[in-house]
Formats: sequence, C-alpha cells, structure tokens
Amino acid sequence: MVGVSSSAARTLWLRLKAPSRLLVVRVAIMLALAALALATPSFLSAPSLTTLLTTISFVGCLAIAMTFVTIGGNVMSFALGATAAVSAMVFVVVLNTAGYASGVAAALVAGAVITGLQGCLIGFLRANPIIVSIAASVLIYGVAQRVTSNETVHVSETLIQSLLKGKLFGAPIEFIVFLGLTAFGQAVLSFTTFGRNLFYIGSGFRAAEAVGLPTVRTTILAYVWAGLFAGVTGVLLASRYNQANMEFALRYDYDAIAAVLVGGIAIQGGSGSMLRTFAGVAAVSTIQIVLLLHGFREEWRLFITGLIVLAVVVLYSKRQRQ
Amino acid sequence: MSNHGHGGKPGPTALASDTSARERAGAIPVPMLARLLSPEFRPFLIFIVALGGLTLVDGGEGRILSSVTAFSTLQYFSTFGLVALGLGLTMVIGEFDLSVSGVFGLGGCVAVLYGNESIWLGIACALGVGIAFGMAQGFIVTRFGIGSVPVTLGGLLTANGLAYVVTQNRTVSFDNIDLALLLNESIATFFSIRSLVAIAFFVISIFVFFSTRIGRDLTATGSNRRAALVSGVGVGRIIVCSFAFSATMSALGGALLSFSLASASPAGLADVLVPAIIASILGGISLAGGMGNPLGLAAGVVTLSLLRSGLNALAAPPYANDVASALILFAVAIADAPYLLRRFTAATAWLHRN
Repeated sequence: MVGVSSSAARTLWLRLKAPSRLLVVRVAIMLALAALALATPSFLSAPSLTTLLTTISFVGCLAIAMTFVTIGGNVMSFALGATAAVSAMVFVVVLNTAGYASGVAAALVAGAVITGLQGCLIGFLRANPIIVSIAASVLIYGVAQRVTSNETVHVSETLIQSLLKGKLFGAPIEFIVFLGLTAFGQAVLSFTTFGRNLFYIGSGFRAAEAVGLPTVRTTILAYVWAGLFAGVTGVLLASRYNQANMEFALRYDYDAIAAVLVGGIAIQGGSGSMLRTFAGVAAVSTIQIVLLLHGFREEWRLFITGLIVLAVVVLYSKRQRQ
Repeated sequence: MSNHGHGGKPGPTALASDTSARERAGAIPVPMLARLLSPEFRPFLIFIVALGGLTLVDGGEGRILSSVTAFSTLQYFSTFGLVALGLGLTMVIGEFDLSVSGVFGLGGCVAVLYGNESIWLGIACALGVGIAFGMAQGFIVTRFGIGSVPVTLGGLLTANGLAYVVTQNRTVSFDNIDLALLLNESIATFFSIRSLVAIAFFVISIFVFFSTRIGRDLTATGSNRRAALVSGVGVGRIIVCSFAFSATMSALGGALLSFSLASASPAGLADVLVPAIIASILGGISLAGGMGNPLGLAAGVVTLSLLRSGLNALAAPPYANDVASALILFAVAIADAPYLLRRFTAATAWLHRN
C-alpha cells in the first residue's frame, strides 16, 4: 500500500513542471515552519508574537529595499542599514523642530538621496556595486561621527505621545507598514514600466542595453526606491524607540541580506519578487524565534542563520543546473 | 588595442582609436614614464605619493619620517596584512572572499580559548578552523558552480555566528600577558614578532608566486577561466586552495591580534574587511580578477598602514580615517568602472559639438 501510494506520488511529482515542483517544496517548507512554530509553546502568546512582528518588520522593510538592488543585477548593498540609521536621525531632528510630516519627508529624502547617488555611480559608470556600497557605508559612518560625535538624538517629550506606535487589528503598526510596503513594492515591480525594465536589465545588462532600454535611469531609480524604503525603516525605528543613533541598524544589513537570499531571490539578478522576500523574512524570523523559545541562546541565532543561507544558496544553484 | 595587427579591415572605430592611441603616445614620450605608470609599478607609486603627501602635511615636524611611525605602520601591517594577502589572492583568481572578517574574528576567539592551555594548541586550532572553513567554501563554489559572493556571505554569517557560539557571547581573555607583550615588543627598532610573522608570509608568498607555476595558474584562472581550464590549469584545485589559504591567513591574523591584545570577543574584531579590500585595491589587484601579485599587495598594505599610522601621528580626528578610506574606495570603484571611458568619450564629444 505504501509502495503504491509512493509510486503514485512519484509519478505525480515527475509530471509536475520544474516551477510547480519548486512551489510544492516552498509551500511544504512554509507549512513545516508554521507547524514547528505552532507546536512551540508560548509562540502564539501575545508578547512574543508582538515582539517578533515588530522586529521582523524592521528587517523586512530593509529586505524589501534590498530586493530592488538584487533584482536589478547589483547583488547587494551594504549601506542600507547605515542609510536607515541616518534617516532615523534626520527624522528625529526635523520632527523636533518642524513636525511629523516634515520629519517623514526629510527622512525619505535623505534615504533617497544617499542611495540614489550610489545608484548614479553604479548605473552611469557601471562601478562595482559591492565596493560602492561598502565605501558609502564607511563614508556615512565617518561623516556621522563628525556631525553627531557618536551621540543619540531623542524625540522631545511633548511629541512622544503623538508618534505612530499603536496597534492596528491587533498587530503592531510596524507590521502593517511592512505588509503595505511589500504590496506596494510588488506593485511597483509588476505594474510599472520601471519594474519590467528592472527585470530585463537584471537578467542581462548587455541585452537590455542593446535593445535600448533606459539602463541608467532604471538602475538609479532602483536605488532611489531602495533608499526610500530604507528611509521608512529609519522612521519606524525612531518612532518605536523615541530616539536615533548610528548604532541603530548595525545588524539589520546582514539580516536583510539573509532574508533576501533565503527568499530565493537570484543573486545574479533578473528574477524574484517582493512576496518571496516576504517569505524569506518570515522564514528566517520564525526559525530564529522558535530557536529562542526552545531555549537556544541568542548566539546560536547568527550561526544557524548563516547555515540556512548557505543551504539555500546551494539548493538554488542545484535547481538552476538542472 | 588587441584589434591592432589582426590585419582585418580597419573599421571607423578602429581608425579613431588608432589616432587617439598615437596622440596618447605623443603625450608620454619617455618609456621610463610609461614604466612608472604601468600597473605593476602603480602600488609603489601610490605609496610614494602617500608618503610624500603625509610628509608635506606634517610640515617638517618629523612626525611621519620617524621610527615611531615606521614601527606603528608595521604593526598595522601585521594586523591587516595577512587578511589582505588572503583576500587579495582570491581577488586575483576573480573571486571574492567576503567571509574574511568573520573568519578573522573566529580565529581570534578559538586561538584565545585554546591558547590558555598552550599557545601552540591555540594557533593550531585557529589554523585548523581556517583551513576547514576555507576549503568548505571553496568546495561549495567549485562543486556547485555558485558565485563566491553569496557563498562567502553565508560563510561570513556562519563564521561570525560560530564565534558567538564558541565564546558564548562574551569577551574571552588571554591569561599569558607576557606573551602578549612579547609579541608587540620592538625588535631592531622597526619590527615586532607579530609584524615579522606577517612579513615572513608575504616573502614566502612572493617567492612562490613568482618562481613556481602557481602564480601563473592563479593569474590565468582569474583572467580567463575557460582558457586556463583548456590549457591544463587545475582550476578547481586552485579555487579551493585559494579559499583555504584566504581563510587560513585570516584566522592566523585574528589569532595573532587577539594574543597581542590579550583578549578576543566575537564582535570586536569584525572591522578588517574594509581595510583588506582597500589594501588589495591599492596593491594593484583589479576587481575583475587576473591582475596583481603579492609584491604589489605588500606595497598596498604598507600604504594603507602608513595612512592609518600617519593620520594618528598627525593627530587627525578619528573620522578622518573613515573618510579617507571611503574616498579611496570610491576613487577605485570609479577608476575601475567599465563604462568610465565610454562616458568620458561621450561627454567630450558632446562638449565639442556644443
């Protein structure tokens, strides 16, 4: 009986086309993770879930920003965390003097300009994106050290009450923003000319250039989008903690990169979606929280995340070779 | 340039580049100057410029051309040199080892943890971890044909996590203070045991690179992998060995630094990736691979170290180093950018038209 059913399953499996096979694997992994999470006592208790949702929202927004860079064929950015921290500081400073709306606007502009300038170097000159982003992050930390002398800026007392930090439908506001950004980012990728061009350019720069796609403009725009999303991350961070400093987003860079890789966004560019990044963020965060709740200490988190990233990288390459 | 001498019909572009080549040749009449500007010599030229610049800023107060600055330059050399040597050689073969900073920290933590029993056991453990880690990464890169950036990104996270795990997220201290002092004690004014170790590894690497076929094979693997494979270079072996070498050097560098600081923490040693990249690039190693050698790399590390110790000696504010590093990286990214010449030509043409 077992033999019959397994051979039937095997036939069915072989009849599936490669993409749907992958879908089956993905759904199975997500279900397994969900089951693991639900089987963990105290996972669904409110404090743990709220903390989880808030933390993954910060990493998630940054991962959405990162996805624009990766899909466009520019691997990763190591400067988005620093950009988010700068945006957070700009937000707090402007908020204290000119109000909430100006604060958000200034933070978004700061993020877009910082990242957009890197996009100019990468899009116009085709400079190496990894080196440019590392240089940018070093420069941001250097200049910030000069400007802020390593100090923390605080939101003034009278404004704290009015900040967005409540709950909506039982979920923290950060998570709602993250969901919104995922949907928005996906819409930008799916329904705009920019999004379509980004996929073409990411999958083959020379070909895209040969058929006359606006490679420079699209690459710069991808970085501007990434900067805007990093700016939103900064606003969320500052609103949650009522303060901002350059240490804020120090570890989010690597978490975001891990999420993008685990989500299965091809590192060579040209494929992927915001939904996959969302799945990657969810998977990485769920595993981390389950580990924590099962009594693994905090230090195992990074190690196991690293192993998962390596495993996913290897698995995806295997699929591509087939 | 490679089109010349093919004997084919010269198209309009070939003609244009011909005239511009002649013009350029006219601008540089002396072969000596051409040799000075050649890629092999560039690292030394940059070093001379950096030394001259710092001396000028110093304004004759003797802060740069002093034995103290020379000693501290060599101390920086020993901190960054081994990592840069490993990373640089992976860049020569056209790969990129992002994991060096993770392995550097891991090596330091492992060395201190086991070094309290015996220093040799500590070093052996660090080297063992380095070799195993590097070989695993190299194996994944060759066996599965994946780019080295995602693999070593995973490696970086894993090594960093492993450092947190083995130290249980705390700073571990090294009890042998005498040894820590001995490692940094000055020998013959300029050197210390630590810097002599780094120099020794550079000398060995330079010797091996130039006098065995390994150097040629590395360059061939980096400049044209397919051609290298066809002409009988063991490309897979070269890649695995390069990653193993890179991780081993990083782990050793981390071990030596942690011994000399008499402590190690998983978070504290992470900041070597950026200096190592800068040193490699200053050392004449191209991001595209197939260029550079350990001799130029040594000059690159010396330049980077001189900038650090020089800025310290001139009492420059702490952010000056970050800003200088960032500007160097930007300059190299722009100078190495594949479309720089094209955009420049287009811009000059546009200016001529208007």
